[in-house]
Amino acid sequence: MSTRKSEMNAMIQDQGLRTLSYAEAIREAMAMAMEADPTVILMGEDIGVYGGAFQVTLDLVDRFGTDRVMDTPISELGGAGVAVGAALTGLKPIFEFQFSDFAMLAMEQIVNQAAKLRYMLGGEASVPVVFRMPSGSGTGAAAQHSQSIEAWFGHVPGLKVLQPSTPEDAKGMLLAALADPDPVMIFEHKLLYKMKGHVPEGSYLTPIGKALVRRTGTDITIVAGSIMLHRALEAAEKLTADGISAEVIDLRSIRPIDHETIRASVRKTGRLMVVYEGVKAFGVGAEISAMVAESDAFDFLDAPILRLGAADAPVPYNPDLERASVPQVDTILTAARRLARREV
Amino acid sequence: MPVEVILPKVDMDMTHGTVAVWHVAPGDAVTKGTPLFDIETDKAAMEVEAPASGRLHAVTARPGDKVAVGTVVALIYAEGEVVVELATVIAAAPASPDPRDKPAAVPLAALAPVQFAAPATQETNGLLRATPAARAAARQAGVMLADVDGTGPQGRIQREDVAAYADRQSAPAHMPDSPAVWSAQPGPLHVSHRKGSGVPLVLLHGFTADSQSWAPLEKALGSDRRLIRIDLPGHGRSPRRKLRSFADLARMMVEAFDEATKAYDEVHVLGHSLGGALALAVADIRARNVAGLSLIAPAGLGPEIDATALTGIIRATRAESLAPWLRCLTARPEGISDEYSRAAMKLRRDPALRTFQAEMAEVLFPDGVQAFDLRPALSRLQCQTTLIWGRSDHILPWRQALNVSGDFALHLLRDAGHVPQIECPDRVARIVLRGMVAASTG
Repeated sequence: MSTRKSEMNAMIQDQGLRTLSYAEAIREAMAMAMEADPTVILMGEDIGVYGGAFQVTLDLVDRFGTDRVMDTPISELGGAGVAVGAALTGLKPIFEFQFSDFAMLAMEQIVNQAAKLRYMLGGEASVPVVFRMPSGSGTGAAAQHSQSIEAWFGHVPGLKVLQPSTPEDAKGMLLAALADPDPVMIFEHKLLYKMKGHVPEGSYLTPIGKALVRRTGTDITIVAGSIMLHRALEAAEKLTADGISAEVIDLRSIRPIDHETIRASVRKTGRLMVVYEGVKAFGVGAEISAMVAESDAFDFLDAPILRLGAADAPVPYNPDLERASVPQVDTILTAARRLARREV
Repeated sequence: MPVEVILPKVDMDMTHGTVAVWHVAPGDAVTKGTPLFDIETDKAAMEVEAPASGRLHAVTARPGDKVAVGTVVALIYAEGEVVVELATVIAAAPASPDPRDKPAAVPLAALAPVQFAAPATQETNGLLRATPAARAAARQAGVMLADVDGTGPQGRIQREDVAAYADRQSAPAHMPDSPAVWSAQPGPLHVSHRKGSGVPLVLLHGFTADSQSWAPLEKALGSDRRLIRIDLPGHGRSPRRKLRSFADLARMMVEAFDEATKAYDEVHVLGHSLGGALALAVADIRARNVAGLSLIAPAGLGPEIDATALTGIIRATRAESLAPWLRCLTARPEGISDEYSRAAMKLRRDPALRTFQAEMAEVLFPDGVQAFDLRPALSRLQCQTTLIWGRSDHILPWRQALNVSGDFALHLLRDAGHVPQIECPDRVARIVLRGMVAASTG
């Protein structure tokens, strides 16, 4: 990531563009929304005085007060339930889970209530709640605090599931989520919070359900999201030394998923690899590869589709094992080379 | 048990072949499906692929050796398998009728128990390993996947393999037609030309066959005659094109005929079975260009056709199920050897080809009936016309020829079935040549 990041930053500085970290961009979006709309409130454990487990809300309690930046008790089910109820009755709550893993405790509210109420009430009401989901491995936080469970929610009609990979998208997606009348879950990668990048001033919406070609190429297509995008981009850069031109697509939205951008790329390259941090089996890669195989892009496939996902095991605490359990630049590079060189 | 490499029978009338060159040295590793050696027959050169992966041993035929069809010319041992001399293997084969046979001259039949232990590994049950992109490219280019060498893992055919093959095809010379003799002409259907003298003879093959099936007759006709062969759509090297009716097919054929014969004022047309019906249609539509017509068991002269045999040929996915139906084509079933069936099945390995031909059969022969009638066309013909029919034709009854009025000659061949040009090529050649002389003097 380092080479590409420093190049990107150098470019940004050259053009005199403003840079923010991923966490700052999220905070800016929340503050802008709260200033513009009094119904926007923040809820979550330790988001007030403490500033949030990853210091994302930071000083917002000082700016907006405890009525709008509410610390909730250590009960994810209770907190999420209040957020869903508030959303149903006219507010726009942004509920932060300290770790996305803790959403397990609130599944009833997310899956059975938030996702379904619009349908069960015949469209008479909606649940405009936003769940912020700090996720992913790499922090040494072990099995119960390092998971990537975004695909679980991709299976639930009624939810929207987003994964910003840059500070710019982190802000744009949060604003888009607030503008959406239905529940939206944003999976923020813990390792990206400090990543800096250009963030436009003012309000803008990153379109929900639209993937983005971050790098064009002709030999293979790599679909990745969140931190995997950066690993894929770094691998793609290294692949140029082998004469391999990789197209890298930032998935951005898991539900709805952008079929057409992926299919168009597969029609061009004939080779598809999906990289994601969730457990490989039954994951985002399964959905994407099946979607391609079912589509007209099938006729353009010139090699089996490859999925790179996490090991079929809980995320280990041991740092070496933790690193080895999820796709890294090296693993992406090796797999991409084999795919491009027709070895699979 | 090692897999034996045999000299395959690639032409109906082939009895011997000469090993031209080995691509793999004894003891070296071979991969199933990769070129193992080249053979030369009287008419063509052809690459023979390794029937299995492993190591090559017991090579008995050296370059230049002329060997009988079915002879075991080498063995392929699986990695780690104990290598035994060929003689030992043969001695161990219980069915060997003559222990004095030298290894290099052992007919395949002597190794029957060994032979039939292996077929499943030789063709992956008739399935081809190819990527979706390769299949789409082959459909588009009208290339038969079975002809393409896969360079991917496990011999998988990839898009670039099809492209490379198509490039080679569009070059003037290609295998297995002798490159010095045949040249391909681009156009809506695959056309190949052979240089020679006199009025060109245009050859239109029958349903499920291809231009290669004319080989025995070509040999009997002599090498100096100018020949033009056209592959039917979805047959041989012609692309698969959607057909709604016989009229559609005839239009395509006339288009290809015009393109193929534009350099000549007049031609003689020879068609077999469905190709015979098409020859009739061409002569009817382009009467001015057709000096004479020879029709071998032409379709379109009555409703009856042995649809069961037709369906059987189309549906067969392995040599064992194809052979019984191929034997319906000839007067004497023993004319079709197992090796011939295997070679024929190899050309039909692509499921897309079989599907296309099944759809074509449904259009041309719905409910097992010849749905098109060319009797009026035959009655109208002004050119010199000869019908040749085997008296033991099980596919199309020769009596249909009696139901048509018209000034044509009818030759009924004893001991011939539906494919007299293969069963007795010399007799058919004599009749065709006489017809051509009559046409030019008449």
